[in-house]
Amino acid sequence: MISRIARKEFVDLLRDGRFRVGAAIVGALLVVSLGAGWVNVRDARSQLEAAQTTARDHWDNQGEKNPHSAAHYGMYAFKPRFALSFIDEGIDPWTGTSVWLEAHRQNEFLMRPAQDASAAQRFGTLTAAGVLQHLVPLLIILLAFGALAGEREQGTLRQLLATGVTRRQLAIGKALGVGGGLALLVLPAAVGGAAALMMGSGATGSLLTRGVVLSLVYLIYFASFIGLAIAISARAPSARSALVVLLGVWVVNGLVAPRAAVDLSGWLHPAPTAFEFARTLDEQMANGVEGIRPPDREAITQRVLAEYGAESVEELPVNLSGITLHESELYGDQIFDLNYGALWDTFERQSRVHETLAMVAPLLAVRSLSMGLAGTDVEQHRHFATAAETYRREFVASMNDDLAQNSRTGETYFADDDLWETVPPLEYEAPSLAWVLGNRSLSLVVLLLWVVGAGIAAMGGVRRSESV
Amino acid sequence: MNEPTAPTPSTSVLEAHGLSKDYGGHQALIDLDLRVDAGEIYCLLGPNGAGKTTTVNLFLGFLAPSSGTVSVAGLDVARHDRETKAHLAYIPEQVMLYKNLSGLENLEYFTALAGRSTEGGVLRGALTDAGLQADAVDRRVSEYSKGMRQKVGIAIAIAKDARALLLDEPTSGLDPKASNEFSELLRRMRDRGVAVLMATHDLFRAKETGTRVGIMRDGRLVRELATADIGHAELESVYLDHMVEEVVA
Amino acid sequence: MVARTVLRNEARLLMADRVQVAALALFGLLFVYAVVNGVAWVSKQNATIEAVSVADVERSTALASELQRIEDGGDPGSPFRDPRSPNVLGGNRGARTVAMKPGPLAALSVGQSDLLPFYYDVSIYTNEQTFLQNGEVANPLNLMVGRFDLAFVIIYLLPLLVLALGHNVLSGEREQGTLALTLSQPVSVRDVVASKLLFRGVLVLGLTLGVSLLGAALSSGFADPARLGLWCLGVTVYALFWFGLAAWVNTLNRSSAWNATALAGAWIALVVVIPALVNIGAGILHPLPSRVEMISTAREASRQAVNERSELLARYLEDHPEMAGAVVTDAASSAALAWAATEEVNRQLEDVATRYDERLAAQLAVVQTYRFFSPALLMQSVLNDAAGTGGARYDRFEGQVRAFAEEWRQYFVPAILAGETMSVASAAGRPEFAFVEEAPGAVFDRAAMPLLVLLLLAVASSGQAAMRLGRVRSG
Repeated sequence: MISRIARKEFVDLLRDGRFRVGAAIVGALLVVSLGAGWVNVRDARSQLEAAQTTARDHWDNQGEKNPHSAAHYGMYAFKPRFALSFIDEGIDPWTGTSVWLEAHRQNEFLMRPAQDASAAQRFGTLTAAGVLQHLVPLLIILLAFGALAGEREQGTLRQLLATGVTRRQLAIGKALGVGGGLALLVLPAAVGGAAALMMGSGATGSLLTRGVVLSLVYLIYFASFIGLAIAISARAPSARSALVVLLGVWVVNGLVAPRAAVDLSGWLHPAPTAFEFARTLDEQMANGVEGIRPPDREAITQRVLAEYGAESVEELPVNLSGITLHESELYGDQIFDLNYGALWDTFERQSRVHETLAMVAPLLAVRSLSMGLAGTDVEQHRHFATAAETYRREFVASMNDDLAQNSRTGETYFADDDLWETVPPLEYEAPSLAWVLGNRSLSLVVLLLWVVGAGIAAMGGVRRSESV
Repeated sequence: MNEPTAPTPSTSVLEAHGLSKDYGGHQALIDLDLRVDAGEIYCLLGPNGAGKTTTVNLFLGFLAPSSGTVSVAGLDVARHDRETKAHLAYIPEQVMLYKNLSGLENLEYFTALAGRSTEGGVLRGALTDAGLQADAVDRRVSEYSKGMRQKVGIAIAIAKDARALLLDEPTSGLDPKASNEFSELLRRMRDRGVAVLMATHDLFRAKETGTRVGIMRDGRLVRELATADIGHAELESVYLDHMVEEVVA
Repeated sequence: MVARTVLRNEARLLMADRVQVAALALFGLLFVYAVVNGVAWVSKQNATIEAVSVADVERSTALASELQRIEDGGDPGSPFRDPRSPNVLGGNRGARTVAMKPGPLAALSVGQSDLLPFYYDVSIYTNEQTFLQNGEVANPLNLMVGRFDLAFVIIYLLPLLVLALGHNVLSGEREQGTLALTLSQPVSVRDVVASKLLFRGVLVLGLTLGVSLLGAALSSGFADPARLGLWCLGVTVYALFWFGLAAWVNTLNRSSAWNATALAGAWIALVVVIPALVNIGAGILHPLPSRVEMISTAREASRQAVNERSELLARYLEDHPEMAGAVVTDAASSAALAWAATEEVNRQLEDVATRYDERLAAQLAVVQTYRFFSPALLMQSVLNDAAGTGGARYDRFEGQVRAFAEEWRQYFVPAILAGETMSVASAAGRPEFAFVEEAPGAVFDRAAMPLLVLLLLAVASSGQAAMRLGRVRSG
């Protein structure tokens, strides 16, 4: 019985001009966005590779100099583009893309691509994620708003129920019919996306798993919308009012709630201004904070002298400067951890507000998950920033260590390319799927609540809907 | 036109001469000559598609004639669209009003559109004259029956002091009592000197209410009768004769 | 006469419909919320500018008193921190903070103000890399989504309000059957529909312009009536366009549901899809090289420059013969040598920046051209320009900062090359910065074309609608 209804619904859709036009447009946009995203990621990756090579060249060929000068010269790290980001570029255009790793300072990521674009980018770039999150739900609304309200208006609902179909069967059949119509559009896109992924990166297993989970997430999102559309269609007095209510839901979901979340997150968890942040950092760097005191040169000198049983600094087999520099790095690291940690925590708490508001707007949940799986959310930006910072600390430490071990205090000492080449390249490993889903568990739960809730609402709505 | 002139019974209000209407090859109305005088109720009888509604719509200027002329109060409808409408009132099969407004508010709106006085007392008087109970006047139209909405339509005619009333199947769907009341209302309009043109299926009502009847078939006016000269049974047989003729032809 | 009657009736109909009144009230709340939001963001920027200015004055005062102390015979301390040295007083220690205050209508449109820097520390070392810095600290997620400001409400939600109110302006009358009765009165459909739209227009524009004025009053107190006028004009023309479109769709004689679907489709296409396509098209037609080149160049140049300082100084003096006399030629000071290296790096950076800016300009030109496909894009540029939160004002600020940095260098570099020391008096005589606002005329010039096109679209659609309405005879 259900399959009959689904088939009828499906055939109805295929014959409906609105569906054909809508699906053709959405399909074309999906193809364009996938293609453009793919080209974009490919180009960005080759640019990054070139930049990384050049930056490493500069480091390796910086010539003879004191290792601490080399640490000051520093290195650059460039944020990698994750393969799946061709589906969802997420926050990538809005974060800095490169960071200068130098002695004494943890720097910010600079050069946000968005700063070079015109204000038009505020409308968003066409991405597959955008099409899937905004336009496909609209198509679902167009397909399903008349599911029950329309049949009731035409008087066919009465006839249908007279044949002995249960309302439950009717609801499931309708949903399957709409889902089938949608599958015609989404499945080829998913296959195309997977092919692009394979072509772009020689997809690894973990990448494919991420892709599959990403597809599942979107399917759940679409299912929620189908359920919601049927629930509202069942309760609405007319097809037109069902359409109006559903369009209202769409506007709140896609436009109002996301922006409201921005302001709400800022009010609940205010971030410091750039000026405040820099001033606090400088102030704490100079004077320390509770529990973290600036290194005491005299105490370090005494400690090192005692360690080597030396009477004076000149007698030491090591360069005291290297040791004090390292101590001051360790001190600075604690201050940076404190301040950058607090800032990142604020950002993550703000993201949590977006995820919580997904209770009102499922788009917020699917968007968080989508960015997470594509590797373009705030948490994964932080993950890379942390890796880069750890790398900075290690190589600065190795420079200071070389200075300490291979020279004497007060001596003029130069190291050469041999030392520079001992510094390993920054090997960044993206976080695992479990890590990502762990971060996004709230969104996952909310999205599941949506699909279950929408399903129940659809069933309930159809059960209670009046037949005339 | 603001001064209601007492019309003499022989004043012609609605006139059609050689009136035809084509809809892309289909002849809905062929060479109609018609005249309805002040104080007369003219009933157009005929089956669906005979051209009754087309005739009404031509008088209203809702349709433009393919040939011939229509005039209201001596003015050509085609050239004086607004002036002729100032003299007309229209009661469609269903008088549809703004549901969220009261009968009085609806009346006030349409009367104001007609450019006539919208003084409260005058409007309430019109509604009473049209037979609407006083307690219904300020209720929302969504609670009105079809008959009550028609009364608001009549009140519009009274308030705008229309010289002609055009009705399209006004009695279909009314119960006999309401239908009878409505006929009574039309007779009162006639007594005020209004020229009434009513398209209807209802032979009985036409004989009861009308002063003259015109039988239409296939876009032609085939017979005109004065109701005073004829009985119910006779009217029915004349009508059926014309219809049978049609079948034979 | 007809207009008055219809307006009165429409007002009655509106008041009688509780759902519509509630929906309008909700929209009103969104408008007010957007303005409050914008006002809060502007006051945060103002507070930041206040804080950085105070810090700037404190820094200057401290330097002046240190100079005074040294002039009175105090210990100058490390030569790298000695304020008498021109590359210290003109360098990072003595840097001047320059800021651009939010525009008079910034509370109405956040625009690019959350993304682009609105203050810089200018020193002799200010170069192209300086302008790569981030703006205010912000969660990139929040930047991506954008704020709930009045410009957003106007660009996205105002058309929806217009379409909700206007999609059935004629079809609704036909469907409820009142059109027949209306048309049997001595009035024309055109007048009735125009009056109905007038009522809705007054409602929508009254709400929008009222809230705009409220926002202006709360933030700047009508400091710039010309820009406010431009804002109001833009909003009016944009609303007219959507009303015209709604009117035209109504003349197609379809059902209200069909009208609603068609208009919603037009909204999606014009406000959501076309801008996204323009953005992606600009990226594909004119891909930007990575900014990374700037870093590579800077590092390559500074590495070479350090090795070739003497040569560079000689070349610098060739380029600037007027400086030659001032330099202690036989034993060029290390400061002069260092400056020569800095200058060379800056020169190379400028080359990179120029090449990059050419590419960027080509990409922006695409967006500038194709924005004519979307009234929303046009509207955005007009609103941002009027509010002073568009790219143009920030470019202007950056340009003035660049010029100021040059002025700053002119003040210190001769002293560096001549090996002079600075005094309390020379510290007091350091250049001052004041942002010079664009003349309103220039803003109008930029907005004229988008406004004109919007107006033409509005006139075309409503004119077409009026023509077709003239032919409607029956209900």
